[in-house]
Amino acid sequence: MTRYLGDGWLLPGTDALTKRFFSAGKLVFQSCAKCGHVQHPPTDVCAKCQSFEFGERASAGAGRIISAIVAHYAVHPALKDRVPYNVVLVELDDTPGVRVIGNVVNRAPSEVKVGQRVRVCFEEAKDPQSGEVLRIPQWEAVT
Amino acid sequence: MKKRAVVAGVGESTYYERGRASESEFQLACIAIRNAVADAGLALADIDGFVSYMEMRNDPMRLATALGCKQLTYTAQPWGGGGNGMASAVMLADAAVSGGYAKHVVAFRALAQGQFGRFGQARGSGYAPGNAAFSATYGLLSPAQICALQTSAFMARYGISQEALCDVALACYHHAQSNPRAIRYGKPLTREKYHASRWIAEPFHLYDCCPENDGAAAIVVTTPERARDLRKQPVPILAASQGLGDGDGAGAFNERTFPTAHKHVVGRAIWEQSGVTPADLDVVQFYENFTGPVLIAMCEMGLAPPEGIEEFVANGRLLAPHGALPMNTSGGNIGEAYIHGFECVVEAVRQVRGESTAQVPDVELSLAVAGPGFAPGSAVLFCAA
Repeated sequence: MTRYLGDGWLLPGTDALTKRFFSAGKLVFQSCAKCGHVQHPPTDVCAKCQSFEFGERASAGAGRIISAIVAHYAVHPALKDRVPYNVVLVELDDTPGVRVIGNVVNRAPSEVKVGQRVRVCFEEAKDPQSGEVLRIPQWEAVT
Repeated sequence: MKKRAVVAGVGESTYYERGRASESEFQLACIAIRNAVADAGLALADIDGFVSYMEMRNDPMRLATALGCKQLTYTAQPWGGGGNGMASAVMLADAAVSGGYAKHVVAFRALAQGQFGRFGQARGSGYAPGNAAFSATYGLLSPAQICALQTSAFMARYGISQEALCDVALACYHHAQSNPRAIRYGKPLTREKYHASRWIAEPFHLYDCCPENDGAAAIVVTTPERARDLRKQPVPILAASQGLGDGDGAGAFNERTFPTAHKHVVGRAIWEQSGVTPADLDVVQFYENFTGPVLIAMCEMGLAPPEGIEEFVANGRLLAPHGALPMNTSGGNIGEAYIHGFECVVEAVRQVRGESTAQVPDVELSLAVAGPGFAPGSAVLFCAA
């Protein structure tokens, strides 16, 4: 699918910590291999038991918008033709304590509201440097 | 803390609209420092410490050399981005003089966004690295957008209306009308004009956002003993705090207490150190790069519960001289000038001295609270001698 903010928009930098989130093709979060603590954004140390070893926890990707804005002023030249656009914060049904930033891609900005139910979807984008296909988590409103 | 340090002098440069200063940022810093030192009745040679925040520009070695300081024995900056360091800088200056590491310390902030670029504009192409991958990828870039997302969650959770944001903006503009230094002097705001203004990042209208400016502000901090024979009435620092709660340093809105203004720890520390309560305050300055987070910061400082914050700021309660708790009496970032909040510190001191252009009668306790958008937060409480 075409990206919500255009195919020329910034790609997520994929390093050892961020790569899985943006390429797994399902919603996955960093989880501690020792205590199971789930944390987002991913980082080097488990904030619960200070372990350095991590696995991942998948989410079914169903959740609810807890915050929503509409950007009207383009702060970057590449977004001049993209405003107004929405940005939301989503809490997931099956992963408490984690909040995910994204865009609701199937509604006009004025129709995006706090409390709305959403489910995850993915934008595909080819990373021109690595040649890999990224699958960037996004959101579709279901209500 | 507890009156072991005092503010002996305050000063600022002329405040300019962004890009309008004829001086460089470093020259603006020197002007503000010179004015603060003269206000204290000290000589530039007496200054032996410098504290600022957020930028590595205008470093103390260069300042001490340019200003002819006899010796430099203390330099410090707090961690953390944005205007959250505004009161931390005062705390570090207090620590320097009350700990005996320096005698006369300048805390300051200088900004020339014409010279060095704006906070409210994004650049870059290709990739959003590190934690920015989780926000910039989705077009969440500017402080206005970030603080709008923080504010939207708070408004939704507690049923806060747009009028509460408007009341914060109205207070800033109201006070700017009596302050000739203010960028918005002679440019009053009405509720109608606020609601008619364009959206920047909904729920923020144009008037929810501070301008970007060029200028500098400074204070001189010393001990009560050294200040006794100086030119101006010394203003004691009763409490100062920097802080962050457990889990509240997480990125991309994953703080444990989201939506937070990072003031839970700071609020508790201010009241514990000082022995006073929020109800005792006479006047407050809240860093408002944007209106909404001020409401969160007020709640976390203990001024009002979230369920009561809309009423707390309504009906002119924030207006000097006779509102229940006058706020941002020089105009603050929105009305006076965006000097990254340091103009709020200067104004908090002026209120204790009785020198404000929107003076509150008989000020005994004057609070300044730093930027709410980034961690760690900070605050400083000044008192009458």
